Amino acid sequence: MPPLAGQRVSDAADTEARLIARAQAGDVGAFERLSGAYADRLFMLLLRLLGDRGEAEDVAQEVMLRAWRGIGGFRGRSSYFTWLYRIAVNEANRALEKRGRRPPAVPIGPDELQLPGPATDDPSRQAEFRELRRALSRALAELPPVLRTAVVLRDVEGFSTQEAAEIAGVSQAAFKSRLHQARRRVRAAIGDEALVSSGG
Amino acid sequence: MPSRSDDHRWSQQHLSHYVEGELDPRARSRLDRHAVGCVDCGRGIRAMRALVYAVQGLDGLAGVRAPATIFDRVRLAGGAPSPSSPNA
Repeated sequence: MPPLAGQRVSDAADTEARLIARAQAGDVGAFERLSGAYADRLFMLLLRLLGDRGEAEDVAQEVMLRAWRGIGGFRGRSSYFTWLYRIAVNEANRALEKRGRRPPAVPIGPDELQLPGPATDDPSRQAEFRELRRALSRALAELPPVLRTAVVLRDVEGFSTQEAAEIAGVSQAAFKSRLHQARRRVRAAIGDEALVSSGG
Repeated sequence: MPSRSDDHRWSQQHLSHYVEGELDPRARSRLDRHAVGCVDCGRGIRAMRALVYAVQGLDGLAGVRAPATIFDRVRLAGGAPSPSSPNA
């Protein structure tokens, strides 16, 4: 008889708990299995926050090193995934500060990554969509890192407010304030006409 | 009682809260009542919804893989992780 869905979730959590314990005991292989499960998603987050593949690769290595060095102090008060993501957000913001300039203007969805297009064959609608996408990328790139992080975590990555606030390391109220401020700025930068005519 | 211009400023500041469903019933009703007669705020609600939808549509990096080098520094560092104080 196949296991129930709840059992599978429980088994996965059990496996993760074992990997955490082994990693804390110094097993690098266990750490790689544990963190490797989130590596692709973590790398995408860094790409979105930094907008530069080379820098995202460098920061991703640093995130894993910091997680490895810090895992001895991980006590499971948040999920491992949240803990790892929080390190990634901190490292990305640190890199942006070090860089001393705003992210490049094509940060969240470089064309090379083939973003999905609109569900229409109408060339003029597709052109409008592409233009909106470029405008969004520019507007997001202009945001200060903490506001940009809020939009990426909540609206792009789709985390709940509670999860996103945990990852950002702030209260839910502070996170919401950042999110609303970020959306107001992006809306102002793009303009209501362009947003409404995009058909949203 | 707030004036129409107070309502307008307040509504413009709370469009994101509105589309997020964070306003309590009284506040939501205040914005709804104002938006019925205000072209800017009615359009603002549609624009904010379109903005959130469009940003969600930027989530198109599916298939991007982490670099194979991601654990290089961990392997170089080797050894056991430091038994640091609890941090999470």
